[in-house]
Amino acid sequence: MTTPTIETHGLGREFAGKWAVRDLDLAVRPGEIYGFLGSNGAGKTTTLRMLTGILRPSTGTLRIAGFDHATNARALKQCLGFVPDTPPLYDYLTGRQYVALVASLWHVERAERDARSERLFATLDLTAAADELCKGYSHGMRKKVHLAAVLTTAPRVLLLDEPSSGLDPLSVRRLKDLLIEEAARGTTVMLSTHGLELAEQICHRVGILARGRLGAEGTVAELRAQNGNRSLEDVFLATTAALG
Amino acid sequence: MKLLRADLQVLGNLATTRTGRRLALGTGIGLLLLGMLAWWFAAAVLDNRQVQSLLQRTASDPVHGLLGYGLLACPLVATWLGLALAQRQLFDASELPLWRQAPLSRTRPALQVLARATFLSTCWALALAGPFATAVLLRHGAPWWSFALVPIAVLGGTAPLLSLLLAVHIVLVRAFAGRWLRLLFACLGALASVAFSTWLLLTMFTRSGDRAHDVVAAARTPHELPWTVDAGAALLGAAANGSLDGRALLVVGGWIVASFVVFRLAAQLHPRAVERHLAAEPPIWRSAGRRWPQALTSVVRRKEWAQLLQQPGAVIGFLVFALLVFALAKERVLVGSLLGNPRVPTFALHAVVMCAQWFLAVMLVLYAHMGRLVLWDGPQWSLWVCSPANPAAILRGKLQAVFVLLLWPLLLVAVAGVLVLDVEPRTLLAFSGIAIGGTLAAVGVLAVVGTWPQLMRPDDGHVAQGGRGFLAALLLVVAFELAAAPGVAAWLWLNAHTRHRLLTVDEALAWTPWVVAAAIVYGAVVASLGAWIGARNFRRLLRPR
Repeated sequence: MTTPTIETHGLGREFAGKWAVRDLDLAVRPGEIYGFLGSNGAGKTTTLRMLTGILRPSTGTLRIAGFDHATNARALKQCLGFVPDTPPLYDYLTGRQYVALVASLWHVERAERDARSERLFATLDLTAAADELCKGYSHGMRKKVHLAAVLTTAPRVLLLDEPSSGLDPLSVRRLKDLLIEEAARGTTVMLSTHGLELAEQICHRVGILARGRLGAEGTVAELRAQNGNRSLEDVFLATTAALG
Repeated sequence: MKLLRADLQVLGNLATTRTGRRLALGTGIGLLLLGMLAWWFAAAVLDNRQVQSLLQRTASDPVHGLLGYGLLACPLVATWLGLALAQRQLFDASELPLWRQAPLSRTRPALQVLARATFLSTCWALALAGPFATAVLLRHGAPWWSFALVPIAVLGGTAPLLSLLLAVHIVLVRAFAGRWLRLLFACLGALASVAFSTWLLLTMFTRSGDRAHDVVAAARTPHELPWTVDAGAALLGAAANGSLDGRALLVVGGWIVASFVVFRLAAQLHPRAVERHLAAEPPIWRSAGRRWPQALTSVVRRKEWAQLLQQPGAVIGFLVFALLVFALAKERVLVGSLLGNPRVPTFALHAVVMCAQWFLAVMLVLYAHMGRLVLWDGPQWSLWVCSPANPAAILRGKLQAVFVLLLWPLLLVAVAGVLVLDVEPRTLLAFSGIAIGGTLAAVGVLAVVGTWPQLMRPDDGHVAQGGRGFLAALLLVVAFELAAAPGVAAWLWLNAHTRHRLLTVDEALAWTPWVVAAAIVYGAVVASLGAWIGARNFRRLLRPR
């Protein structure tokens, strides 16, 4: 069995006496697409932010690609890409300039950067808008530009927070194809989503989070089988209700 | 009332979270510091013999004039906030879509904006004008109840102009929404911000003797006060002598009510103005799509320049600043007395004058450039935190960009020197050398203050700046003055040295290369030290929270 690329043990984060995430044990392997499901405020984003190094865990440990934030932060970040729900674009840079900025932060060679970004712009239907200021982009376009920027860095681990929100159906389809393609190349993909359909379609495994705890985990088929072959929606509602 | 209650609840909720507490504390401390500065300034001015003689007179006119001088801050604050914030508040406030969808009267959103703007400007005006008015009343032995009239006078001096500015803004957008109007407002906003900062610096940091002269002149001509300020000053002037001037109170109230009525009329146009504003073509600036380099420092440097050059408002701010520098140079603000020294050769005096003008010009833009280091990257902070880049390399790119941008004041002062003082080429050379050293020192100061974690920490993806930004601005001014202290010390030494003898041209020419070299070396040392401390700070800011 391959070593997990994302590994957490007893991970927890407390905010002013309230636990947003508690005792979280995760193991996601290379090439796997892992879906993180949960109600609003379940702790999905907090978990992703701990994995990216934005938040410090209150308890537990985490390792990504064998590195941890305490001792190998730079090496860890080099192999990590994060697409937050609100993309951190600069309003007064163009899409292409923003991608160049992100690529240089991740030390990507110029030729590689240009080749990858052109391909991604074409795939995500951004070529025509690439030289416009980000200020004029819609939410969906901002998200796609940031996704293109992150994928330009060829991350080994890709974390996405609500990747399909704000995207049109065609863009969602392209996003799914891109994620499947990345996973096939060996990239570990972990995404948080409210879209159960998206999780069913592309995730190899899903974890259902409620009140900061992992309530259920497995492939969609396994979870359904454990719950009397009910739909993923029913499984989700039953799991969150049980922990709530 | 529901919207007002919501705003009050927001203010009340500030105390319940750490970020909110920091924000409230920072804002409070900032305004308190400003108030204290205004109080010290008032105390120093009122200790002046001429001003004291005015205060000791029983006639109300000089006191009226003095109070009017103090209240002049009110229309200035109203103009600044009215022009600099109007567009954002009236047409781009984040709550505006909610207010427009809610079953409220069509004027309610605009009135809410007016309420917020009035509250903010009254706080600022109270911090700036309140201490002076209070000090005058105290020195004049005014009765206790007269102090309660100070906020009314301040409100009377602030609210009418603010309401009228916002009303005009609505009417103009309703009639002419579009790119050119946006550019016009951006120009006016930039002009107002720079002019207000200049006024604040000149008021707070001019010698009290010079300022007292202005105060006495203003006190002797109370009839020249703006109408809104005049009514408030008359009200306080009468109260200082123990009587309540009902007519003045009516005039103050009348101004507030009249401006409110005018604003309410204009607010009828607000919904359509917002629609036209949203429909108007946004100012998109297409880049040539030039390929960027790969090296991190170069990319960060280029990113800072691109953000400036691709943002019309920022470019306009730079041009407005140029006008201001020329105006300051033409009026010889702060440097008139320097030119009167007959014992120093003219070329050296000119260099000193230009250095003083450069110092003032840099002081005006330092805060804005400080924002480029951390403050303005608040919404993008997660990107910097997630990236594996070396924090020192990122900061280096930003500091290089700021250094180049800080050469703008140097260039402007040099051109102004040629046009206004008709300086010689050797003066220009000497000034440029010294100012490059000074620019390096300014970059060093920026690197330290602009990355200081307690002042600049981004909170949850956004920078909780508020008052901390204000506190940082004050610290920055003090730190820059300290960094420039060797220059001031050198000037004082030169004055002492030439008290009993002339400094010959040959002597001055012989010293010049050494002075320039010393300035550059000093600047390089400060910049290196600042960059080193800044890199440590930047690393701390990029750690997980």
